Amino acid sequence: MRLLMNPRNRLRLFSLALILTAGLVGAAEKNPQFVQVTIRTILAENKTDDFDPKLKGMERQLKPLKYRSYRLLKAEDQNVPSQGTRSFEIPGGRSLTVAPQEFQDNRIALKVRLTEREKPVIDTTVKIPNKGNFILGGPPHDGGVLVLSISATAQ
Amino acid sequence: MELSDWDLVQKCQSGDMASFQELVSRYHQKVYMVVLGLLHNRDDALEVAQETFFRAYRKIRSFEGGSSFYTWIYRIAVNLAIDQQRRQKRNPLEFRETMDGVLEAQEETARDPFADVHDRELRENLARAINELTPEHKAVIMLRTIEGLSYKEIGEILGCSEGTVMSRLHYARKKLQDKLSAFL
Amino acid sequence: MRDCESIRESIGRWLDGELDTAESESIRAHLASCEECRKAQQQLESIDQILKTTLLAEAQQIEFLPFWRGVQVRIAQKTPWHEQALEGLRATFTLSRAAWLVPAGIAVVLAILSLDSYIPGLREGRNSFASVESIDAYGRNVALLRENESKTTVIWLYEDQEEENATADEPAKSAPAF
Repeated sequence: MRLLMNPRNRLRLFSLALILTAGLVGAAEKNPQFVQVTIRTILAENKTDDFDPKLKGMERQLKPLKYRSYRLLKAEDQNVPSQGTRSFEIPGGRSLTVAPQEFQDNRIALKVRLTEREKPVIDTTVKIPNKGNFILGGPPHDGGVLVLSISATAQ
Repeated sequence: MELSDWDLVQKCQSGDMASFQELVSRYHQKVYMVVLGLLHNRDDALEVAQETFFRAYRKIRSFEGGSSFYTWIYRIAVNLAIDQQRRQKRNPLEFRETMDGVLEAQEETARDPFADVHDRELRENLARAINELTPEHKAVIMLRTIEGLSYKEIGEILGCSEGTVMSRLHYARKKLQDKLSAFL
Repeated sequence: MRDCESIRESIGRWLDGELDTAESESIRAHLASCEECRKAQQQLESIDQILKTTLLAEAQQIEFLPFWRGVQVRIAQKTPWHEQALEGLRATFTLSRAAWLVPAGIAVVLAILSLDSYIPGLREGRNSFASVESIDAYGRNVALLRENESKTTVIWLYEDQEEENATADEPAKSAPAF
């Protein structure tokens, strides 16, 4: 406590503490241990005019695709370790494999592979904002098309 | 409650001019006395005393309290006065007249019990005798006589050992005694 | 028993209080009985007395306010303008204030820099689109769409033409209308 009575020491100690904290936080941001990946599998079709209430919040993202109806088929979360991979089952004998690559400037780089009957359909690397998403769509399914919302949050 | 010299110094170091003013008010007469004793000229002594505090103001942030404030301020004052003496190109006659002027003027307000001719002769010879001392010998006499500082403190101010202070004092006093014995 | 010469060598130190008790006592005892040495003591005391009273009287004539004004003039005249500005800043931002202001300033800067962590979308318009770094559709047609309103990146995979022909009776479109 006596150390803090001297203004010079107070200045030094608090500034050091703040800078150290910033450094630690910064370091923590740079190296998340896990990335929580959420895959929402949506069926888009033109048979009906329904918008699944469970997709509330995604209207603005889905409307530009100009389908008449959107239905949430499944939503799945997995904690994927940094530099690790996890696979998500997608309807129609498909699988989506996600591998977080790096975290920088609050953006997560994801390597994504969609396979169908164990054959690769598309490989892509996308950098998304932390807690953001992108859409991968087009595979046909059940009279409509699958729209996959792939989102990631650094843990 | 009155703040200590060190408290005032710390406040000065934070930019508090009022604290510096308080320090000047505490020591300006003492500094002037020492410097006057060394220079024996009122105008020069005033100049050097004010310069002392100006220098102290400029250097206050580097004062870390290793010595007392008054030791530090006297050190500045004595060094400036010694430098001034070395620059001084007055002849002994002019010097004596200046010191006489100092000694005469104080008669008006003097509490000094001596008022006779004998005393005037003593004062004149005292001025002469002091003038014949080196700046360093004058400095020890002034600091000891006026301020009553210990040999250790005088040594800190002048940057010399206690032994040197002792021997300079002894020498200076002996010289003064020898020159003034007829009048004392 | 010390001789007078030795005693006179020590009178100055005795008067200055720089002797230990034993030495001091020996000087005092000698002075009590030696007139010559007592005279030497009185001479030293007279010299001290005259010097002190003379210079003290002079010093007491020095009034504080004119003296202080002289010091202030020196400070104003001899301090370079940039140092005076610095002095002004120092007087405003004293060490005690700086001791709180500087860490507070650092905290504010850090908070601003990390604001987007707490307010998602703060960097909207700048960095909110997902960016596609690479894409390999294994020979299939693929479209990349950036929808401005919702800031969404869409990768659209078109069906293989052969597959499309095979499932020709299915009514649904396989491509969005964008």
